[in-house]
Amino acid sequence: MSAKTLKIYLIARFLQYIFVVFLGLTLVFFIPRLLPQDPIRAIIGQFQQHGAGLDAKTVETMVTTFQELFGLSGSLLTQYTSFWKRILTLDFGPSFFQFPTPVSQLIWRFLPWTLGLMLTSTIAAWLLGNVIGGIAGYFSQKRWAKLLDTLATVIRPMPHYVFGLILLILFAYLWKIFPLGGGASIGKNPSLTIASFLDILRHSFLPVLTMVILNGVAWYHQMRLLVQNVKNEDFVHHAKFGGVHTWRLVSQYVIRNAMLPQVTGLALSIGQIYSAAIIVEIVFSYPGVGTLLFEAISRADYNLIMGIAAISIFMVSTLVLIVDLCYPLLDPRIRYR
Amino acid sequence: MGILRELFQDYRFALGFTFLSALVILAFLSFFSPYDPVEWLQVPRDMPPSWPHILGTNSKGQDVFWEATFAIRNSLIIAFIAALLSRIIATIVGLLAGYKGGVTDQILMFFTDGILVLPLVMMLILVASIMKGQLSLIGLGILLAFFGWPWDARTIRSQVLSLREQIFTQTAILSGKSVLSLVFGEYMPHITPLLLSTVLSNMTWSISSEITLAILGLSKLETPTLGTMLYWALRRQALLLGYWWWIMTPIILTLVLLVGLYFISVSLCEYMDPRSRLQRATME
Amino acid sequence: MIQKEEVEGMRRVIWLSVSVLIAGILLISYPVLAQPREETLIHDTVTGVIGTPDDFNVWAGWRWPDRGLHQYCLEPLWIAEPATGEILPLLAKEWPPEYNEDFTKMTIRLREGIYWNDGAPFTADDVVFAVDLHKRTPQLLMHGPMAEYVKEVRKIDDYTVEIELTRPNSRFHSYFLDRWGALRPMPKHVFEKVEDPLTFKFNPPVGTGPYVLESYDPAGYWTTWKRREDWDRSATGKIYGEPKPKYITTRVFATEEAKILALLNGELDLAYLSVEGMRAAMRAPHVRTWRKEWPWACNIDPFVPGLVLNHMKEPYNIRDVRWALTLAINIEEFMTIAADLMAPVSPIHIPPVPAYRKAYFEPMYEWLLNFELDLGNGEKFKPFDPEVPSKLASLAKKKGYPVPEDPEAIKDIFGIGWWKHAPDVAEKLLKKHGFFRDEFGRWHLPDGSLWAIQLLGHPEPTTFHHRTMLAAADQWRKFGIGVETWTPLQFTTLNLLGEFDINTTWAALEPWGAGVDLYRTLWPFHSSQVRPIGEYVAFDPGGSSRWSDPRMDEIIAELEKVDIADEKTTIDLGLEALKLLVEEMPTIPVYGGIAFLGWSEMYWTNYPGAENLYPHPWHWWPNFKLTLPFLKPSQK
Repeated sequence: MSAKTLKIYLIARFLQYIFVVFLGLTLVFFIPRLLPQDPIRAIIGQFQQHGAGLDAKTVETMVTTFQELFGLSGSLLTQYTSFWKRILTLDFGPSFFQFPTPVSQLIWRFLPWTLGLMLTSTIAAWLLGNVIGGIAGYFSQKRWAKLLDTLATVIRPMPHYVFGLILLILFAYLWKIFPLGGGASIGKNPSLTIASFLDILRHSFLPVLTMVILNGVAWYHQMRLLVQNVKNEDFVHHAKFGGVHTWRLVSQYVIRNAMLPQVTGLALSIGQIYSAAIIVEIVFSYPGVGTLLFEAISRADYNLIMGIAAISIFMVSTLVLIVDLCYPLLDPRIRYR
Repeated sequence: MGILRELFQDYRFALGFTFLSALVILAFLSFFSPYDPVEWLQVPRDMPPSWPHILGTNSKGQDVFWEATFAIRNSLIIAFIAALLSRIIATIVGLLAGYKGGVTDQILMFFTDGILVLPLVMMLILVASIMKGQLSLIGLGILLAFFGWPWDARTIRSQVLSLREQIFTQTAILSGKSVLSLVFGEYMPHITPLLLSTVLSNMTWSISSEITLAILGLSKLETPTLGTMLYWALRRQALLLGYWWWIMTPIILTLVLLVGLYFISVSLCEYMDPRSRLQRATME
Repeated sequence: MIQKEEVEGMRRVIWLSVSVLIAGILLISYPVLAQPREETLIHDTVTGVIGTPDDFNVWAGWRWPDRGLHQYCLEPLWIAEPATGEILPLLAKEWPPEYNEDFTKMTIRLREGIYWNDGAPFTADDVVFAVDLHKRTPQLLMHGPMAEYVKEVRKIDDYTVEIELTRPNSRFHSYFLDRWGALRPMPKHVFEKVEDPLTFKFNPPVGTGPYVLESYDPAGYWTTWKRREDWDRSATGKIYGEPKPKYITTRVFATEEAKILALLNGELDLAYLSVEGMRAAMRAPHVRTWRKEWPWACNIDPFVPGLVLNHMKEPYNIRDVRWALTLAINIEEFMTIAADLMAPVSPIHIPPVPAYRKAYFEPMYEWLLNFELDLGNGEKFKPFDPEVPSKLASLAKKKGYPVPEDPEAIKDIFGIGWWKHAPDVAEKLLKKHGFFRDEFGRWHLPDGSLWAIQLLGHPEPTTFHHRTMLAAADQWRKFGIGVETWTPLQFTTLNLLGEFDINTTWAALEPWGAGVDLYRTLWPFHSSQVRPIGEYVAFDPGGSSRWSDPRMDEIIAELEKVDIADEKTTIDLGLEALKLLVEEMPTIPVYGGIAFLGWSEMYWTNYPGAENLYPHPWHWWPNFKLTLPFLKPSQK
């Protein structure tokens, strides 16, 4: 592979990344502004609803102060330019219903949990799904492989919310093995101790399990299909006749070759995994971006929804870019027009 | 006809086809429903399955069986609209990019990959939460189509790319055939089976996305769809209250629908795969 | 050879799963809570995830006070208690406060022997400081009223404060009356050292209440409070005794399923639920509800869900149209959809809570029975139906609920009556103004167009707004009017702006729920509060209707001249106002506020249920500290 094609690939890919982020964030800016909503009055409405006897004069004073803070003063163009200025400093403004906490602060607080969940479950699902899929694909005539197949096919279309809820009820309520939710026990703040680590592990087990099973079956199916095809290829037959042990055959020859398309698949599925993580977090009250988004939706917190959307676009695009950039390193056969 | 017979020999296609036909029949039954799909309190609430309510009644006072027929119908409609629209867009984009190549191809793929990378459910949530409850069935279908076409545009493009290299293309161009008749006349038969299998996977994606949006409470909650049925059952604590008939119905129907779609698409894919075709040919 | 490999692989898989299982079991032996469970009271919050977990400065903005802050740490001068209908003095010595003749001076006497939780004594200095700080700091929440009404605030002695007003205000004390929020005294010795009171985080919070902050979740999901060593130096402790739980933890749940499971598991003691959530939780033997018998729901929450009509939109400015819409409702079906028959109906604009039953509902009963509508053609109609409670009762019985027979109990559960379901009379009223029905039975406006109501509801489906919307939509559709329900995120904003036909916020602003003064509820209907569509009104419940009437203005003006201690005149004026509201029906009140509570008796008992109504049943209200001395641990 020539250096020139690699350079072109990288530049083109990077340009595309910038474009996607730009397009996504512009959408995020405009969509909420298409509505006749005034978030400021909504906050004040909330204060009043909870009995903070505000009279008209107090309200007026607050409105002007808030308008400045939320970046809602000035023409649309002014707002758009200041929006970009703020984005570059990662300032999405204050959250409406968790005023005055800035949106970015909220997201930074919750994002690490989501990333942790995504990374662990993606890797686990990918590994387990591919390995088990590979084995099942090779031994596809066996009874257990066929059973596994049926199970995987039935589980695959399950809505994440329902599956998560069932696991929650089974393992946290009926059999009290795992906690009912949250990220850590109450009264304990996560710290860098083994005890704290185990505590977090305990709370993360069910959400991770849900994600691993539901995402893993997709990898399982794909791998199985690939292996079934590869296993009939000539080079495999030759190896078998040459006396290569089955296990070595399956891992070194069959799975290895089927793996490559799975890596591209991984890049493209990051968006899906993120979406799944959001739903699963809600079921388990896991303190990640999903729960934050759910709260934002229920509380009509536009700034927060926008902030999460913006960060999601940015984060997912970046992750995909990273995987894409690693791909040419893995595949010696890449040809680029 | 021979094709169909061959397909039916694969147990997966047979099963999938049966599932889908059963669901389509159920969807048609909705036109004969004795109950209005939206009104509350039409029948006594929270009754377990018994005659004449064979799947019981829910907490809103509706017959679960007849609700389900509407739900399947509406979900299928959304999926069809989304699949149809996105096929059209995907085909146009894929054909253009694959055939024209060069700059056109690069620009189109630029956009396609760009949309592919976005976390789609997040974008759906953003739009749906803004339009809360105003999205009709058709509106939702269009929204899903808007985000659903990129994946298959790529697949079609690769197919067109390989077709272009084939000899018959050169022959056709040399013999003076117009581009349009070449593309639609010669390529389409090759692309059509591909389109079919992508239709199915797109429908699956549309249905799952609709369910996700509905569970978060972002769709028009009065319209019965598989997703909104689940939403109501979950919100009204059907699971914890023991009204298993209310929550199991949409889950089982969803499973049957998606598994059926999956089976058909998998068997179609295998059928079209040139290697297995060869196997079949040699076996005859 | 092949078989050995397979066995090898199988063994590996088994080993893996076993080790996972062991790891899982190892992780089990870990406690859920940091402090002893049987000494802790755990309950949920209703306001969601705390956005400012390390900030407790309630005077500077919204700080999620129900995380334990206003319940256990802070105390007000006076507090409104809806369960008994009384106003209780906590940091003040007595109720009511003293006004001079023309309501330009208010004197407050303070309780002695109270200390802040850091040891400093509570004196008049703190009250003077708070009022003065609010007067000169524009961004504090309660700045407006203090700047407007306070001419000067001074201390007479260590326990007496005198406030001189800029102009007469017989209800100035209401800014200090805690009804889920008020201007509470601030610790002067803490705030006087602070440069900017707006950004000061007030962490840890210094209050006079019986609890101090113990720890909190930096992500905002829980807060734990610990009982003060010197709890007897708090107003609560002094008046009511030692609060029994040593620790209190408030928790936030993302979904209701999680909340219910926690309640069933014994990880939660008190929970605010939806009606289905309550029914699901009740199935566990250790979970009880506010009322042990049906309808289980707590029906003394002082607010009135109903329908608010926009008087600046045709045809809702026509009184007969409003009455027609009222009579088109079949209250039995409505209450089934909205509250599963568990709420008491209310024909007037205040809730049937203990404070108002004797003062208003009893005297109104006769009047309601005789109230007549003029149908125009000489016909008169009496719309009040006193049989509604028994009709609702038999409907509930049919559904299999164990409804009591005692007519007093039925009145208590279902209310005193509501309006008849009279679609024929409604038709007459509408036809009088030119409305007509087409061959499909659909209603048309006098100008010929199809009548379609845009009904605005709250997007969150467990709210009363949302359920009222569903019920009203169902009923009016059945009557033949096209109803389009809409639940946008900006529900409150649209209400305030007047961009709706009919919305489902409370029919009138929540009253105090204690004492007999209705001024608070009537004020939003004053003509000075009305704003055109596109401009914001100050009050959403009631006020968003933009209705006013010179007769109401007169009543309000009269009420302003009445001393709060003069109960008789206050009630008389209140009755006049309520009657006017019934005649004009600017908004349609339907039922009294209810709360669906689940209480677990696994660790605590002697809760303030219906059979045992002492201080206060709601754990998200600031009054809950008054209940704590009476709880009993159930595990000793």
